[in-house]
Amino acid sequence: MTDPEHGHQHGHAHPHAPIGQESPPGYYEIMETAFRELLVERGMIGPDEIRRQIEVLDSRTPALGAKVVARAWVDAEFRRRLLADGRAACEELGISFYDDTRLIVLENTATVHNLIVCTLCSCYPRPVLGLPPDWYKLKAYRARAVVEPRVVLAEFGTVIPDDVEIRVSDSTAMVRYLVLPRRPDGTEGMDEESLASLVTRDAMIGVVPVAAPAGRMVQ
Amino acid sequence: MSGGEQLVRRLPNDIGGLSAGPIERVEHDLEPWEKRCHALADVLDFRKIINTEEKRRGVEALGSEMVGALGYYERWIVAFSNILFQKGLLTPEDLARKMDEVAARHATPQP
Repeated sequence: MTDPEHGHQHGHAHPHAPIGQESPPGYYEIMETAFRELLVERGMIGPDEIRRQIEVLDSRTPALGAKVVARAWVDAEFRRRLLADGRAACEELGISFYDDTRLIVLENTATVHNLIVCTLCSCYPRPVLGLPPDWYKLKAYRARAVVEPRVVLAEFGTVIPDDVEIRVSDSTAMVRYLVLPRRPDGTEGMDEESLASLVTRDAMIGVVPVAAPAGRMVQ
Repeated sequence: MSGGEQLVRRLPNDIGGLSAGPIERVEHDLEPWEKRCHALADVLDFRKIINTEEKRRGVEALGSEMVGALGYYERWIVAFSNILFQKGLLTPEDLARKMDEVAARHATPQP
C-alpha cells in the first residue's frame, strides 16, 4: 500500500472490461449486489428504488449550481435570499433537495475568499453540484485545506492576495456549503445563461475563480 | 507521543490539519457498481435504515488498516453490511450465502 487514502484511483487491481464485454465482478461488487438483493427480498427497499435514485444522481451536475450563481449575479433580491437560506433559494429555481441537508452559500468578495472541504469524509452539496471529484475525497485536500489554504489554492493555480481573508468551511452530514464566486469583470452585458456557462464546479468549491470569457479578458 | 496514543487521538477519518503531499487532481467516472452503491447509501438514508452519520462512523469503525487498503465505495459496502449485522437486520451468514449465489451466477453461463 503506497497511499493510505487512495480512495478509488485504480491503485488496486480490478478489471476494467470495455463496455459490452462480460468480465466477472470483483469481490466488493458481488457484496454490493448481494446486499441490495437481500434488502429487496426482505422488503426493506423497493425493487426500483436504487435505479430511480441513480436517475436522480445523474440529473445533478454543476450546471445546476451555475444557474444559481448566475441568477445571484443578476438579481440582487435573489442573492439576498440565497445567502439567507441557500436551500430555499435553490428550491425556488426548481432544484429539489433529495437529502436532508441544510445549504449555506458563502459569498466571495473583494476582501473574503471562501473554500469548502469535508475533512472527515466527503460531504458536498450534491443536490446542486452532483458527486464530488476524487481529489475532494482524498487525504491531501482534506488534510491540508484547513491549515494551509493559500498553499493548496496555489496548487490549483489560484493566488489570493495576502490582504484577502481566506475562510475555509468544513462540511458535515447535515450542513453543506456552496461558494458564490465573484462575477468577473468584463461581463456587464452578458445575459444570465451566458454567465452560467462561465461558472465551473471548481469555482463553486472555491479552488479557482470564475474566469472572464475568452477574448474579453480585462486587466 | 507513542504511535498507540496517536491512534486514539486521531480516528481514521479525522485527518483535518495533518500534513500530506501535493493535491493530485484525480477524477474518474464512477463504475456502474460504484454508482449503485452511492444510490444505495441514499436509499438507506431515505428509508431511515442507515443515516449519513452512521455510515461515516461505520467506515471509521473499519479501522485504519482497512480504511487505508479499501477503495471509497468498497469501504461503504463493508460498513453498510457491518451496520446491518449490528442492527440485527442481516446476519453474516445471510450475506455470505447470497454472495456465493451471486458469484455462482457469473461463474456459470446464463441460458
